[in-house]
Amino acid sequence: MTLEGKTAFVTGGRGGIGRAIVARFLREGATVYAGDLTEQGSLAAHDADGSNFVKLDVTSETDVMAAMERVTGEQGKLDILVNAAGIEIEKTIEDTTLDEWNKSFAVNCTGTFLTSKYALPLLRVAAKSGRTASVINFGSYDGFIADPGLAAYCATKGAVHALTRAMACDHGPEGIRVNAVCPGYVDTPMLQSFFKGEGSGGNGGDIETLQKAVRDVHPMRSYGSPDDIANLVNWLAGDEARYASGQLWVLDGGLSAQVQQMKL
Amino acid sequence: MDKTAIVTGGGRGIGRAIVVRLLRDGWRVVTCGRGAEPEDLPAGAIWVQGDVATSEGWAALLSAAGPVQALVNNAGVQVEKTVIDSTDADYDQVMDVNCRGTFNMCRAVLPRMTDQGGAIVNIGSVSGVVSDPTMALYNASKAFVHALTRSIAVDHGPNVRCNAIRPGWIMTAMAEDAFALARDPDAARSDALARHPVGRFGKPEDIANMVAWLLTDEASYISGECFTIDGGMTAASPLNPGLF
Repeated sequence: MTLEGKTAFVTGGRGGIGRAIVARFLREGATVYAGDLTEQGSLAAHDADGSNFVKLDVTSETDVMAAMERVTGEQGKLDILVNAAGIEIEKTIEDTTLDEWNKSFAVNCTGTFLTSKYALPLLRVAAKSGRTASVINFGSYDGFIADPGLAAYCATKGAVHALTRAMACDHGPEGIRVNAVCPGYVDTPMLQSFFKGEGSGGNGGDIETLQKAVRDVHPMRSYGSPDDIANLVNWLAGDEARYASGQLWVLDGGLSAQVQQMKL
Repeated sequence: MDKTAIVTGGGRGIGRAIVVRLLRDGWRVVTCGRGAEPEDLPAGAIWVQGDVATSEGWAALLSAAGPVQALVNNAGVQVEKTVIDSTDADYDQVMDVNCRGTFNMCRAVLPRMTDQGGAIVNIGSVSGVVSDPTMALYNASKAFVHALTRSIAVDHGPNVRCNAIRPGWIMTAMAEDAFALARDPDAARSDALARHPVGRFGKPEDIANMVAWLLTDEASYISGECFTIDGGMTAASPLNPGLF
């Protein structure tokens, strides 16, 4: 157990990847708060897991302040903040409405900003223990290279990458490390939605064929599981990673290490 | 007085396009290759037969050129193998031409260039950033070129500028051969085209255009950079469900 005595807050904590991070943190002995819009989150079923559910819309300053007040009252500190809440709009910029654009930025960027801003006093308390506090943002490999028809999503993730470096510079002297995990294709409700989406080539057709084709493009011949992401998040959260800060950690089964795979 | 540019590997492909362009821009151009002078070498270009990987090769080139204001390291070879399949001879061939040749030429021109001023353009590759399958040594050799480019820029300013260009798919005889060998050449060609946002493959002239510009005073504040010219190919994920 690597996180005993630590308190963690995970936004999107009932979603595909967030849920796996919550479960892993609990196994590692942390006290975990899982923030999400609903207790069930985006997964069809949710088992009680021992985390503290916090009803939270990360775009609401009031919600975020209330969430951190609760952690202050119950724990008095926060060692780990994971900003895993995120949405994606599967459209080109021409088809994206201003409302969709603003909503993408509100959840993926503003949410990360708000939770980090109001968690900082608690993170400082944790860092004074002599062990570093750790913020883990969710970027994406899409912040480096583009998937077709995901323009707003790509842009928000690029913004998260820059915010990550800025936060690492500003708060490193206080003992707070800030990193971003940048997943590629991970088996989540978001990915399944992408498979079914019009822009994906799926068009409601044979999803298994599409899934196999997606696996085959990866050097590892599979896309990731939420647990694969949770493994890296867990490492970045712990003391083993005490010198790791300001970095963007791509985790995509080697996908983006390759050039376009021509059918030769 | 004419300004002189050395372009290595100017016999064909990208190197030839660079030779043609620099001649048009008024450079005196000295170029080289391991074979005899090509019959279609443009008038005005000076041919030196030699291998830039050897000391005789680069010395002959330098002696023919005299003082140079520009060096374009374009000569390159590729071996299509994984690490397991690559032999010592493959390693020597790729590293000798792509790495040692580039290094030799830079080292030879830099002492004078550091005093008199000049610009170096190295031809790297997108493959030095993201991997082409079964091109292990080639991919690694191009990453060497990118890092050497930055080192020269850092160590040998302010009079010397050094940059690299990373071409993507440029339609040369080498690329045409790859389509010809595909199971379904037409399908292979249309799939590859769809992976290029600009809707076409690169032409040697696309690279020559940037080389020419990087050698002008317009680019006098540019050094230590590696520029990708690939029609947008590597801006997109290699996973495109629309192309399955």
